[in-house]
Amino acid sequence: MAEFRVVNKGIPRKDSIEKVTGQAKYTFDIVLPEMLYAKILRSPHAHARIVNIDTSKAEKLPGVKAVITGKDTQGMRFGFVDTPRYPCEQPVIAEDRVRFIGESVAAVAAVDEDTANEALDLIDIEYEPIPAVFDPEEAMKEGAPQIHGEQIPAPGRKCAWQDWGVARAARSYNPVNNIGASVNIGYGDSEKGFADADYIREDTWVVPRTNHAAMEPHGAVASYNPLTGFMDVWLSHMGYELKRYWISKTLGIPISKIRVRKTFVGGAFGGKAQVFDHEIIAPFLSRKTGKPVKLILPRDEVFTSTNNSIALKINVKKGVKKDGTIVGQHVKLISDMGAYRGSVPVCLFLCHSMRDAIYNIPNLTHEGVGAYTNKSTTMAKRGHGSQQMTTAIESQMDWIAEDLGLDPVEFRLKNLRRKGDVLPNRDTLNSYGLPDCVKKVVEASNWKEKRGKLGPGRGIGLAVSAMFNGSGYWPFTAGSIVRMNHDGTVTLYMGQAEFGQGPTTTTCQLVAEELGLNVEDINLVDGDSELCPIDYSNWLSGGMFVSCKAGLIAAQDLKQQILKIAAEMLEENVEDLEMLDRRVYIKADPEEGVAFDEILRYSIQRHDGDPLIGKGFCKPVPEIEFYPSLSKGSGRWTDAYSFTASVAEVSIDAETGRTKVEHIWIGDDCGREINTAICQGQLQSQAVMGMGDALFEEVMFSEGRTINANFVDYEIPRAFDVPKITTIDASDPDPNGPFGAKEIGECARAAVIGSIVNAVYDATKVKIMSLPLHPEKIFRGLAQKAEA
Amino acid sequence: MRKFEYLRVNTLKEACSLLSEYKEEAKVLAGGQSLLTLLKMNMLSPSYLIDIKFIPELDYMDFDEKEGLKMGALTTHRTVEKSPLLKEKFPVLPETELVVASVQTRNWGTIGGTLVHADPIGDIAPPLIVLDSKIKLASGGGERTIPIAEFFVDFFMTVIEENEILSEIQIPTPPAHTGVAYQKFSTIEAGIKIAGAASLISLEDGACKDAKIALSAVASIPMRVLKAEEILRGKPVDDKLIEQAAQMASTEADPVTDMHATDEYRRELAKVLVRRATKMALERAKAT
Amino acid sequence: MELAKKLIKVTVNGEPRELWIKQNITLLDLLRDHLGLTGAKMSCISNSCGACTVILDDMAVKSCSVLAMQVDGKEVLTVEGLAKDSKLHPLQQAFIEHVAFQCGFCTPGKLMSAKALLDENPQPTEEELRRDMEGNLCRCTGYQKYIEAIMDVAQHPDKYGAKEG
Repeated sequence: MAEFRVVNKGIPRKDSIEKVTGQAKYTFDIVLPEMLYAKILRSPHAHARIVNIDTSKAEKLPGVKAVITGKDTQGMRFGFVDTPRYPCEQPVIAEDRVRFIGESVAAVAAVDEDTANEALDLIDIEYEPIPAVFDPEEAMKEGAPQIHGEQIPAPGRKCAWQDWGVARAARSYNPVNNIGASVNIGYGDSEKGFADADYIREDTWVVPRTNHAAMEPHGAVASYNPLTGFMDVWLSHMGYELKRYWISKTLGIPISKIRVRKTFVGGAFGGKAQVFDHEIIAPFLSRKTGKPVKLILPRDEVFTSTNNSIALKINVKKGVKKDGTIVGQHVKLISDMGAYRGSVPVCLFLCHSMRDAIYNIPNLTHEGVGAYTNKSTTMAKRGHGSQQMTTAIESQMDWIAEDLGLDPVEFRLKNLRRKGDVLPNRDTLNSYGLPDCVKKVVEASNWKEKRGKLGPGRGIGLAVSAMFNGSGYWPFTAGSIVRMNHDGTVTLYMGQAEFGQGPTTTTCQLVAEELGLNVEDINLVDGDSELCPIDYSNWLSGGMFVSCKAGLIAAQDLKQQILKIAAEMLEENVEDLEMLDRRVYIKADPEEGVAFDEILRYSIQRHDGDPLIGKGFCKPVPEIEFYPSLSKGSGRWTDAYSFTASVAEVSIDAETGRTKVEHIWIGDDCGREINTAICQGQLQSQAVMGMGDALFEEVMFSEGRTINANFVDYEIPRAFDVPKITTIDASDPDPNGPFGAKEIGECARAAVIGSIVNAVYDATKVKIMSLPLHPEKIFRGLAQKAEA
Repeated sequence: MRKFEYLRVNTLKEACSLLSEYKEEAKVLAGGQSLLTLLKMNMLSPSYLIDIKFIPELDYMDFDEKEGLKMGALTTHRTVEKSPLLKEKFPVLPETELVVASVQTRNWGTIGGTLVHADPIGDIAPPLIVLDSKIKLASGGGERTIPIAEFFVDFFMTVIEENEILSEIQIPTPPAHTGVAYQKFSTIEAGIKIAGAASLISLEDGACKDAKIALSAVASIPMRVLKAEEILRGKPVDDKLIEQAAQMASTEADPVTDMHATDEYRRELAKVLVRRATKMALERAKAT
Repeated sequence: MELAKKLIKVTVNGEPRELWIKQNITLLDLLRDHLGLTGAKMSCISNSCGACTVILDDMAVKSCSVLAMQVDGKEVLTVEGLAKDSKLHPLQQAFIEHVAFQCGFCTPGKLMSAKALLDENPQPTEEELRRDMEGNLCRCTGYQKYIEAIMDVAQHPDKYGAKEG
């Protein structure tokens, strides 16, 4: 086991002082001189034509500075996916039609929030409701209301993929029967696999939408300078490049004149990655009024009008031999997409790719469709398909084991891939800690003593999951700079957004380790698109593996520069030198050395003013130019996978159906825990969030209206609900990760959900084929079982 | 919030006088833990807000063995939760407060405000009901005292008149050998209440002299279940009898189906909670 | 109708203030908009999340649900007032040491709830603490490290320096 000075330690975070003193500024906190406050008027109808909008009364209200509608933003479209096959189709403000309750139909900027709200009440809109459809399978039937017509890009408009140079053939898309996305991936011959199987099982799960429920609501502050043409924005976000691209694309402002200023972000979990209508509306209003504009969404609009997690109906058919060898799998997905595609086209693909590194399945078919419905859009939530698929697949694994009399642990271990395997898409498993994850949680939880022996109403369950580590997606690189300061400290420039996951801290640890420094010796310039280089972002699971790694590479570059100068100064070879505490010394004679500040001065004086700046960059998957095709899913995808095994122990109150999670064990392979405390925090967080998904979180609708759009009716776990959580480091360092490190933010949640689902089944022997496992469902299941 | 005129008063008399003057244009503010949310959502838009939170004569707790407890309407939930007097004389109340909202809400919110708000899922009403509490309502014209069971009329509606202020809660001293318990059900510990049940058992010579059972979240008001009580009254209470009473309580309940639970499930929960609360009340009655 | 602003006197973080305020604003609005103290946050609109928690006359309250007019004559302590003379409060130090927070949005509210709790009950059990922190939602951390940090301060009052009042 390697010994590190700074890496693999639970040191305090770099943003500690700001966060414990209230000094940390979030978008929510930004106040600018003469700032206006904006509010959005939202559609009360799930599906309707807009016949007429009269904003005259609102415009006359004293204190109102601008009122805009779809006429002002006519033709502006945005979306998370914008390809020739799937052109983005969401208007910034609804134009002739509204397609979900909560869609933007107008916006107001006024001197204060009260006035803005009053102005909204004065906007008269005449709607003509048209038939709506809320269920994806109903939506796909003949005769269902068509939510979109043919999606023809505006003449001359290039889609995002074309702008990024990664588009394939261009043609318009016609969503027949409301099907807005589809995927068909396969290898081998699953029918042949099933023919060879001794046993086949088929199960169907329904996983509903849940909400990210980050503590900071979505919002934006925009400030346009008409004299310079610069647009400054403050956003609650996960990465500035995609936001800059879309604000530029829709508003026609050169991307280089759009500056995303640093903000702390109050949580994201995938729900703040895409660009939102309000993030285009705020800059639009600022440009229109010439004043800064603040637009913060109240909590109910976060529920109704940003996005929820992907809702899926998952049918899994699996064929196995008597001895448990998996020989075939066929997955069919139907996604309740909502009124616009969101990230469903990506998720349908990820549902396959997130799982493919786990089990060796020689014959596999994976197909899926996303159907438009008159509901809000859906988007990645911490796992983005992994948790839905893990629920369906890992529960079925237990049932197959039960049906065939196999041990569920051995059944899984038997079918796991091996380190070094090349996957069907040609990704290589250079690191593969999953078997160790399984063994460690099985041991830590006393699985063998408990499984089948806990007594009535108690159960224990196991599940495994995997996660990628970045893939080819714009801007395809992370850049970083580390420069020497006058006093021998360094300053690190990194663009990553800080939304709790701690990239500034961990990158400082990487840099400190490389340069022999303490993290206190590293200043930070972060999160600002003008001050920092191109940033890869933090919603592609590539924070550590790609973005932080760029910081390490920059430090390595600076290290070489320092050593070269020091070698010259000391008249030694570079290989004979070491650095520690802002000093380079001769390994064989540590008293002999030169301090960093001396090295800097020498470099400046003797090397034409060279101030010693280290440059680093990292491309997520160097040999590919883009993500695999979303519809066919073939081709290299990622350079490393992370893995988790989770065991959960539950007790069920049979009289009420209430589940108490007693203990969760998580064995996680994140390559290397750079900051052990942050890593534990991530795993604990995923355990608790996963528990919420498994047992009670669900966004509920009635005729397209979100009926639980608040924290009273949408319950998230609180301090008293938290079970005992044991986190176990089962890391297998990846040769391509910074000090071997991989992601830790997203993988575990799916495994926790699966393990709770399996534990509840173990306790009740009731198959509840939908999440969440609400007490009432368990109660009914037990009652039906008792009657039978 | 829409605009209103804020009026702070220092005496009950002032408060009543202002209420008489402004009638339906005014709302009474105490802790505001329910009211402010309604104002912020623009579900209410009074022109006047009469702040009674700082009226000294409404914040007290007096106990007398004969008269029982008299609690001013401005007694905060936190005071009830922490009160050594209540822990000794009416322990079910501090116990129940542990599951009411959160510490922050309990610190500023008042018992009077909660009762007037009349949320049928509220936890504090069922124990007060089984304890045979009374409510005093004051107005410019005088005051009246009514049993708490008659106070609630419908969802978020009570018998309180436009010009009345809830001023006091009275709880008689229970007879010897009385035990009271409250049980609630929510999916997460501090989550929204799906059902709740309070039971009071008074024993005399080994038999149940009196039984009172009240339910929350299973009807439009917190309600007593009289037929269930009858099953227990006058008889030696055993598990079988408790089961019958619980079963009866669940049929008397009048729950709705909403996003959190179906009416059937609420009935089942009512049965379970009545059983558990009654068993606990019985143990406590035996222990005194 | 245009209503007159009213004058209130409130001590915030030890500083007496006189403020002319609208009658329909909350304590949270007063702190954030009038005094620029943005530590207390708004996360929900349903009095559910506790991100706005401050200490009002020694009691933790949700400032979004206290009418600003009601704090006339009272004392308010916010997260900005916790550190004294460049020295962090033991709870702040413990939160840092335990790496208790992640995004930090709920942290000010948690600090104020925890301080009020420990001031009233210096030796809570973990169960008491968890129950008493129910009013402070967190989505990032799973609460574990926050609870450990607060228990650490409770069980080792001298570890982070003398406790401030």
